[in-house]
Amino acid sequence: MLRELYAKYGGSVLGRCRYLLKDATRAEDAMHDVFARALTQGEDFRAESSPLTWLMKIATNHCLNVLRSERAGWRQWFERDAAARPEGHGGQGEMETRDLVRRLLSKVDLETQAAVVHYHVDGMTLEEVAAVLGRSVPTIRKRLERFAELGGEELRVR
Amino acid sequence: MSAHESEWTLRRLSAGELAAAEAARVRAHAATCAACGATLRGIEKDQALFEAEVPFERFEAGVERAVQRQRRSESFRVPPRRWVATTVAMAASVLVVFLARPLLSPSMHGRLNRLKGGAVAELRIGGGLDPQREARIDAPEALARGERVMLGFRVEQLRYVAAVSVDAIGEVTPLHPESGQGLPVRPDPYMLWLPQSWELTGSGAERVVLVLSDEPLSVESVMDAARRAFQAADGDVEHMPLLDVPGEQTHWVLLKP
Repeated sequence: MLRELYAKYGGSVLGRCRYLLKDATRAEDAMHDVFARALTQGEDFRAESSPLTWLMKIATNHCLNVLRSERAGWRQWFERDAAARPEGHGGQGEMETRDLVRRLLSKVDLETQAAVVHYHVDGMTLEEVAAVLGRSVPTIRKRLERFAELGGEELRVR
Repeated sequence: MSAHESEWTLRRLSAGELAAAEAARVRAHAATCAACGATLRGIEKDQALFEAEVPFERFEAGVERAVQRQRRSESFRVPPRRWVATTVAMAASVLVVFLARPLLSPSMHGRLNRLKGGAVAELRIGGGLDPQREARIDAPEALARGERVMLGFRVEQLRYVAAVSVDAIGEVTPLHPESGQGLPVRPDPYMLWLPQSWELTGSGAERVVLVLSDEPLSVESVMDAARRAFQAADGDVEHMPLLDVPGEQTHWVLLKP
């Protein structure tokens, strides 16, 4: 099972951890934690119709919580900015959006952070984000629109 | 509607998660759409880079270490011998703590651990390099590496006890009982301590909740209530409301090292 998870999801999960933690060693540790959780919570994980969704949700929450629990987490996080490897595809425009998202994350609450990452970085639809976070579509839209006010047109909710 | 597939859809395609018909449609689109084709190739390239950078053996070993860490943090382990000695020392100090309580300023102890009917609840931290101490209930309490926690209570009437913990991503762990309903606790003039102690590994905040009820209470119902409270707090474990369960409850927020 682990080899299959490695071959199908390893790159995506490590990419998420690097995007948020911006530190190669800590990102790899976080990735191990995420897959360990998949193994130790096997029943929940196997019941999930999309293992990718489960893993990316856990990875996102785990990394956001790691940042949140650090005393000077966000400050250190900004200092690591230069060393970060960008995650994602789709050309310069999308890279800039992801970078903007990352810079603004610390200004919002944890759930909005997760919604923003799933929407702007994963490219999930509003419905998919709502399903992942167990919220209604209007709630997610409201949170994303509030976040967009921080960053302007680039972060508009479609 | 966008003419392109979302990156999420392409990622699911790459992971083999789309149903056959949708997978064929998306793959056909990606074959003729430069932008989607590039995104799909990028996802596949990232996976190849990951495999080159982190060989499976290293990945497997890292995950195994993380599994061990997570299992250690799961509760209900037999206390190690060193903790037995600490418990004895703690028992001697319990009466002092109890007698001293009325002399302490309410601001030092918050509001929740003095309960209706004269009950008292306490979370004690020990087992590390620092002296034992009582956790505050009105502010998060930082734990040092290696420190363990014990739960104590004093009841003046027959009560049932249940305790759970909630970590920063909302994972709820039963602390007492392990499952089902606990045995009733008879009134006792002294603090009674649950026999286990727990080391909360990992990082971030963790909330411990102790419930004393007049009626039998299953730990599963307390766990469900804890999950609802975590949701109600928008996933912020430090700001969860009281659990929707009968009885008196005490909350502590611990910051893991």
